[in-house]
Amino acid sequence: MDPLTIAAAGGMRARMEALEMLANNLANAATAGFKLDRESYSLYVAPEALDPALAGWSPAPSLLPVIERHWTDFRQGALKPTGNPTDLAISGPGFFVVEGPRGPLYTRNGAFRLSPAGVLETGEGYAVRAVGGGRIRASGRGPIEISPQGEVRQGGQLLGRLEVLSFSRPEALSKVGHNYFRAADPGLRPAPASGYAIEQGKLESSNVAAAEAAVRLINILRQFEMLSRAAALGGEMNRRAVEELAKVAP
Amino acid sequence: MIRALYSAASGMTAQQMNVDNIAHNLANAKTVGFKARRAQFQDLLYQNLVQPGASASAQTVVPSGLQLGLGTRPASNEIVFSQGNFQLTGNPLDLVIQGRGFFQVRLPSGELAYTRAGTFHLDRDGNLVTADGDPLEPQITLPPDAQSITIASDGTVSYTQPGQTAAQLAGQIQLANFPNPAGLNSIGRNLYTPTDASGDPIVGNPGGQEGLGTLLQGYVEESNVSVVEEFINLIIAQRAYEANSRVVRAADEMYQQVNNLTR
Repeated sequence: MDPLTIAAAGGMRARMEALEMLANNLANAATAGFKLDRESYSLYVAPEALDPALAGWSPAPSLLPVIERHWTDFRQGALKPTGNPTDLAISGPGFFVVEGPRGPLYTRNGAFRLSPAGVLETGEGYAVRAVGGGRIRASGRGPIEISPQGEVRQGGQLLGRLEVLSFSRPEALSKVGHNYFRAADPGLRPAPASGYAIEQGKLESSNVAAAEAAVRLINILRQFEMLSRAAALGGEMNRRAVEELAKVAP
Repeated sequence: MIRALYSAASGMTAQQMNVDNIAHNLANAKTVGFKARRAQFQDLLYQNLVQPGASASAQTVVPSGLQLGLGTRPASNEIVFSQGNFQLTGNPLDLVIQGRGFFQVRLPSGELAYTRAGTFHLDRDGNLVTADGDPLEPQITLPPDAQSITIASDGTVSYTQPGQTAAQLAGQIQLANFPNPAGLNSIGRNLYTPTDASGDPIVGNPGGQEGLGTLLQGYVEESNVSVVEEFINLIIAQRAYEANSRVVRAADEMYQQVNNLTR
C-alpha cells in the first residue's frame, strides 16, 4: 500500500482506540472514585526505519501515529454527601490502602462498610489498612466518628488511624478494575500523604466531565472522518494508477 | 471498536439501573420508615495493550503503558440508614426510634424481621402488631380496657385501667441493631431480614449502652428520601445515559465509514 493509505489507516486505528477510552470514561461517569483516562499520541517508528541499510528506500518505512500510552487524570472529583457514616472521601491527594488478595490495592472510592466481625472493609471484603498495617475493628455498638486526619473513634475510643498514601509518580499506577489501582512498578514507593482531609458521610464522584467528553467525541468523529477520506483518496489514486497507467495506446 | 460499543452499552445499563433505583426511592418518598437505596458502580477490568513497565527498547521502559477499560457495572445498591424526619401524628401507638435501632417483628413463619416503621396497632387479643398484623417481639399485650397508653423513651409500655390511678406495666419494647445494617435484606413491607453480610442482631433496651436509640411516642419517622436530591440524581443519570448512547452512535458511524472504504 502507499504511505498515504497506511498513515491514514494508522490514524483511524488510533482514533478508534481513543473512542474506546472515551466510552470507558463516559460509562464510568457515575462510578465513585473513578479517575478518567486520556491518551497521548506519538509516532510509531517501524524498526526498519532505524536500519541504515534501508535508508533512502521507497516507500519510506512507516511512521504511524499511534496511541502510545494513556495517562490517568487524578484531578479531584466532586464530593457528594450520602449520609452513610462509613462512606469516606479524600479531599486532597492520597489513596486509601486496602488488603487485596495479592498485595495492597489503592483506591479513592471510600464506600466502606463494617463486616459482621466489625472490620472496616470495602464492598469486595478487602480490609481497609490502618497506619502501622493493622485493621480498624469496631465493636458494632455506637456510631463511628472519623476525623479529617483519618482517626477512627467509637464512643470516644480511638480504634486506629486510616492509612492514606500518595505516590511521587501517580502515573505509574495501573487500574485493575473495581475502582482499584495497583502499583505496577515495584520500584514505586508510596509515602504517607499530606495536605488531605477525610470527609465522613461523603463519596468522591467520578471526575469525568460530560460536556468535555461530548466535545472530545465530536473531535474524534471528525478526525476519523477526515482520515477515512484520506484513505479513500489513497485507494482512488491506487485505482487510477492501475487502470490508467496500464492503458497502452492501441 | 467493539470495546467502545460494549463499554457504552454497559454505561447505559448502569444508568438504567440507577434510574430504576431512583424511581423506587421516589415511589417510597411518603412510606413511613423507608430508607433510601443508593446505587454504586465500579469500573470493569482493563485490557493491557501495552504492559506498564514493559521494556520499550534495551534501555528504556514504558512508563505507564496503554490500558483500555471495558466499561462499568452496578456494584451494589446499599441502604442508607440516615434518620428520617419526624411527623407528629398524636397516635399513642406511633413510635419513632431516635438512633440506629430496629423494632423486632415476628413473622407468621416464626422468623424475626426488623423494621424502622413504628406504626403499631392493637389486634383483637390486645397485642401490639404492625399494620400487617405481625406481633412485636417481645410480645406486648394490653387489656381491652387499657387507657392512656404511655410508651417511655426506654421502651416501657404502661397504661391505666378505669377506676385506678396507678399505672400498670405491660412490658418493655426491645430494639436490635446490626454490625453492618447496609447488608440487611429488604423483604418488602418495610421489613428487613439479617444476612451473613449484616451480622447477627445485637438486642437491647432503648436508651442503653448499645447506641440503639430512644423511643418517641406519638410521631412517625418519615422516609429519608430527599426528593430534591433524587431529582438531581435523575437528571444526572439521564444525561449520562444520553452521553453513552452518543458514543454508541459515534462507534456505529465510524464503523460505517470503515465499511464504505471498500467500494
